[in-house]
Amino acid sequence: MVMSAPGPALPVLSTERLTVRFDGRAVLKDVSIEIPLGRVVSIIGPAGSGKTTLLRSFNRMNELIPGAKTAGTVHFQGVDLYDADIDQAEVRRRIGMVFQKATLFPKSVFDNVAFGLRAKGVEGDLHGLVEEALTVVGLWSGGAEVLDARALDLTAGEQRRLSIARALALKPDCLLLDEPTAALDPAASAKVESIIHALRHECTIVLATSDHTQAGRLSDLTAYLDSGRLMEYGATQELFTNPRNERTESYLTGRLP
Amino acid sequence: MGVAAALVTMSALILLTGVLLVEAREVLDWRFFLDPPSRVAAEGGVGPAVAGSLWLTFLVAAIAVPLGVGTAVYLAEYAPPTRLVKAVESVLTNLAGVPSVVYGIAGLALFVRGLGLGPSILAGALTLTALTVPLVVVNCRKALQAVPDEFRWAAFGLGASRWQVVRDQVLPAAAPALLAGCCAALLRAVGAAAPLLMLGAVSFTTFAPGSPNDPLTALPTQIFAWAARPREGFLALAAGASVALLLLMAAMHLVLFAHRRRQKGTWS
Ligand SMILES: Nc1ncnc2c1ncn2[C@@H]1O[C@H](COP(=O)(O)OP(=O)(O)OP(=O)(O)O)[C@@H](O)[C@H]1O
Ligand SMILES: [Mg+2]
Repeated sequence: MVMSAPGPALPVLSTERLTVRFDGRAVLKDVSIEIPLGRVVSIIGPAGSGKTTLLRSFNRMNELIPGAKTAGTVHFQGVDLYDADIDQAEVRRRIGMVFQKATLFPKSVFDNVAFGLRAKGVEGDLHGLVEEALTVVGLWSGGAEVLDARALDLTAGEQRRLSIARALALKPDCLLLDEPTAALDPAASAKVESIIHALRHECTIVLATSDHTQAGRLSDLTAYLDSGRLMEYGATQELFTNPRNERTESYLTGRLP
Repeated sequence: MGVAAALVTMSALILLTGVLLVEAREVLDWRFFLDPPSRVAAEGGVGPAVAGSLWLTFLVAAIAVPLGVGTAVYLAEYAPPTRLVKAVESVLTNLAGVPSVVYGIAGLALFVRGLGLGPSILAGALTLTALTVPLVVVNCRKALQAVPDEFRWAAFGLGASRWQVVRDQVLPAAAPALLAGCCAALLRAVGAAAPLLMLGAVSFTTFAPGSPNDPLTALPTQIFAWAARPREGFLALAAGASVALLLLMAAMHLVLFAHRRRQKGTWS
């Protein structure tokens, strides 16, 4: 048996000098960041600063965009994610992603949650796994009706939670959440935040948000991105009360857009 | 504005059908749709031509739809946007706009003489297929591109392979538009007279084609042949054959509508 080493938490995800270009234009520039195991990390920054692009480079979603080029490295549990013989589908199962737009499939709630499991080739009865995922996001109360409900008939808040359940069904090690409460009313937002709060024990969470108060409420660590550069990264409390970077301070005090 | 335009279009269609029915009133009865053409105008029918058009529709659909949809799926979902792929796409777009008579000349050289098929149903079907495939590809590629990328990302993000994304999300989402695109292309083929005339379609055959090797005959060429005759009675026959052609096209539209209705509610 190997003893786990004492000291700082192991990084589960890390980038080194990560640069992402779209059609030649760099939107992430030399970003080096470590996401420690089991923590909640927030990425904040102005619109267009590259938050979504950084999230998408953690599970190789950027390469689905024609014209996107990635330089630098991304490691997941010590493995180079962009290595030629890495199975992309497997990467996306281990590092799940919830997009800013829920984009549910126009099918039943059950089919939405089961999609990833079926794609993976999980055989047999999926009800247990589907119900488990729905329970985590508060959409399962024991009544089978919800499974047959059409996903697009749900409220906006329920749709967002269903899109989280869909990713959770695969039991990812890491969950990437892009603006998880964008365009939700306060009550629905509060529900989603409480789900994220509870999920911290299940997996490592990276959260992109343009609401920095949300970063303050939810995350252990916060990174501030500005025009594709990582300006500051550290304990959330520290970064909020005592920002070292001028730009960070301007952003937090509302002097930047 | 839109309503007015729709009304004008509708009345034009009704007027057209009305004129055809009046012209064809003497010849239209059940016998007309089954009997072969005759030297005596009043005894002629469109039986062989209807059978020929049905054969052509069936054969063209069976070849052009899988080929065209497959090509469109490859171009829209798989092919990297290299210069070669872009060139192929623009060639197909241009081919889709080539006048049908040009396909007739190509078909005559390639299928009738080159492959020695003669002026047969099969030669006609292959020529119409060549005309239809680019149109199917162009229409279907548009249909696939209309599916928002978010759907693809959502599925990829859940660990789906490209084929799973295409099969489970993109194709179902695009299905109504794909079907409409294929039907539009097939309708063009069914109504085409020029290429078949180039191949040497017959307008006077006493038996309905029973196999793809039988002599080429079809409704549009039959209409053309009768309309070209000077004597009074044959114009009525041409009008009658036009009614038959419109009925065949209307039947294809009905299939489309029925399918749309079924699709409604599953995709928005
Ligand atoms: N598919 C794409 N093609 C080209 N440029 C893109 C693409 N996606 C994003 N960009 C550009 O990359 C930059 C960073 O975008 P990104 O979406 O990562 O920012 P963001 O911080 O998430 O912004 P927001 O707060 O608006 O969500 C922007 O300038 C954007 O215009
Ligand atoms: Mg974003």
